[in-house]
Amino acid sequence: MAIIEMEQLIKNGLDRALELMTLAAYNSIKFGNRNTVKIIALGEEELDTVSQFCFSLGDMSPLAARDGRALQEFMKEPLGMLIIGDKRKSDFNYNCGACGYSSCAELNKAEEVEALTSNGPMCLFKAINLHMASNAAAAMAWHLGLHCRVFSTYGFGAKAMEIIEDVDTAVSVVVSAAQEDPFFDRHKYWTRDYWDEIFKKEFPTFLRGFIGAIEE
Amino acid sequence: MSMERSMKQFEEDRKEAVQLAARLLLASGTTSPRVGGVGECSVHILDDECDIEDLCQQLEEMSGEKKSWDFFRRDAAMLRDADAVLIITSLRSLTDPSDINCNMCGYLTCEYMREKEKLQKGPGVAYTGPLCAFRAANVAYAIGGMVSQARTLGIDYGIFWSAGAAAMRMGMLPQATGFAVAVAISVTEKSPFKDVPLNYEEINQRTMNDRIIQRLWPQFRSIYS
Repeated sequence: MAIIEMEQLIKNGLDRALELMTLAAYNSIKFGNRNTVKIIALGEEELDTVSQFCFSLGDMSPLAARDGRALQEFMKEPLGMLIIGDKRKSDFNYNCGACGYSSCAELNKAEEVEALTSNGPMCLFKAINLHMASNAAAAMAWHLGLHCRVFSTYGFGAKAMEIIEDVDTAVSVVVSAAQEDPFFDRHKYWTRDYWDEIFKKEFPTFLRGFIGAIEE
Repeated sequence: MSMERSMKQFEEDRKEAVQLAARLLLASGTTSPRVGGVGECSVHILDDECDIEDLCQQLEEMSGEKKSWDFFRRDAAMLRDADAVLIITSLRSLTDPSDINCNMCGYLTCEYMREKEKLQKGPGVAYTGPLCAFRAANVAYAIGGMVSQARTLGIDYGIFWSAGAAAMRMGMLPQATGFAVAVAISVTEKSPFKDVPLNYEEINQRTMNDRIIQRLWPQFRSIYS
C-alpha cells in the first residue's frame, strides 16, 4: 500500500469534515420542516476573494477588516469554510409579527432593501432556521475535534461577492486544523501598548480617579 | 418490593430525571455560542404540571386570534404531555440592535431600525417586531445547544415558538424579552412530540381516556359495588 503523507491526510480529512458538516447542517432541526438553506464550501481562490473584500471594508466596518486580515492568517494552515445562505421571504405563514409586519403576506409584499450584507426585511424564522443549520455544522466540527468559529462577516462577504448566489443572507462556518485554535484569544494582533491606548480611548472614565483629577 | 411500590418509585425517579435533564439542557443552552460573543439570552424552566397547564390554556386562547394559529391547539395538546418546558428568550433583540448594520431587518442601519415604530401588543401579534434578527439568531444557537444535549441524554424534545409567544403574553418572562421560543422535553417511552396524527387537538391519548374510560368507569363502579 502506498504511503499517504500527513499533509494530504489532513487535507482529505478536512474535505470529509466539510461534507459531514454540510450533512449535519442540511439535516438539522428546522421550524416548519422547511429546508431551504443553500450550502457551499469555498476553495482557496474564493477564500482569498472573501478575505480581500472584508479587509477592504476597513473604514466602514472594523469588524469585517479584522476578520478579513485574520482570514489571511488562517489560510496559512489547513482551513475549510462553509457558507450557508437562505432567502428572506417567509413561507411559514406564522403571522407572528417578529419581522415588524403583522402578517407573512405583508412581509413578502414589502419592498426589498438591498445591501452588501443582507437583503431585508427578512422573516425571523428563516434566520433562526439558517442559524440552527450553522450551529449543527459547528456541532459536527466540534465532534470531529476541529477548531471552529461561526463568522457572519465572511458569510456577508461571500454574498456580496456573489460567490454564493440566489440567497438574501448568509453565514459562514469556518474550521481549521491549525496547531492551536486560531479563532479565539488572538492576542498576537495587538501589542500591549496598542491595547492600552484603545482601552483608554473607549473607556475614558475607567481610569479616571475622581472629578477634577489631573489627566495626563 | 411490591409491584405497586416499585411502579411508584419508577414514577418518582422519572420525574427526578426530568428535573435533572431540564437543568442540563439549560446549561447547554446557556453556554451555547452568542453572536459577537455578547450574552443576552435567558432560559426559564417550567417543570410544574400546573404551570405547563396554564401555558397550554394560554395557547388555546391565542389559537382563536388568527386562522393561521390554529395549530396552537395542537401544540397545547402536545405540551400537556411534556414533562418540562424550557423557554429561551432574547432580551436585547427588541430594544438594543447589535450595531453592525447587517440589514437583515430591512432598515439598512441599526439607527433607522431603532426609530421604526414597533407593532402594538394585542391580539394577533406574537412578537412586537421589527426585532433585531441578528440578535434573535442567538436563540437559534441556544435551541441548537439544548437539542444537542437532549440527543446526548437520549430524551425526547420538541420545539414550539407558539409556547414562547404564549409565555411572553402571560408576562412570565423578563420585561425586555423581544423573542422567545420553547423547547419541551419528555422522559417517557413514547415521544409525545412525534407521530402526531391529524386532528390531534381533538383526539389524543388524554381525550381518548376521557371519553372511553373516564366516562364509563364511574358508572361501572357505582353499579357494580
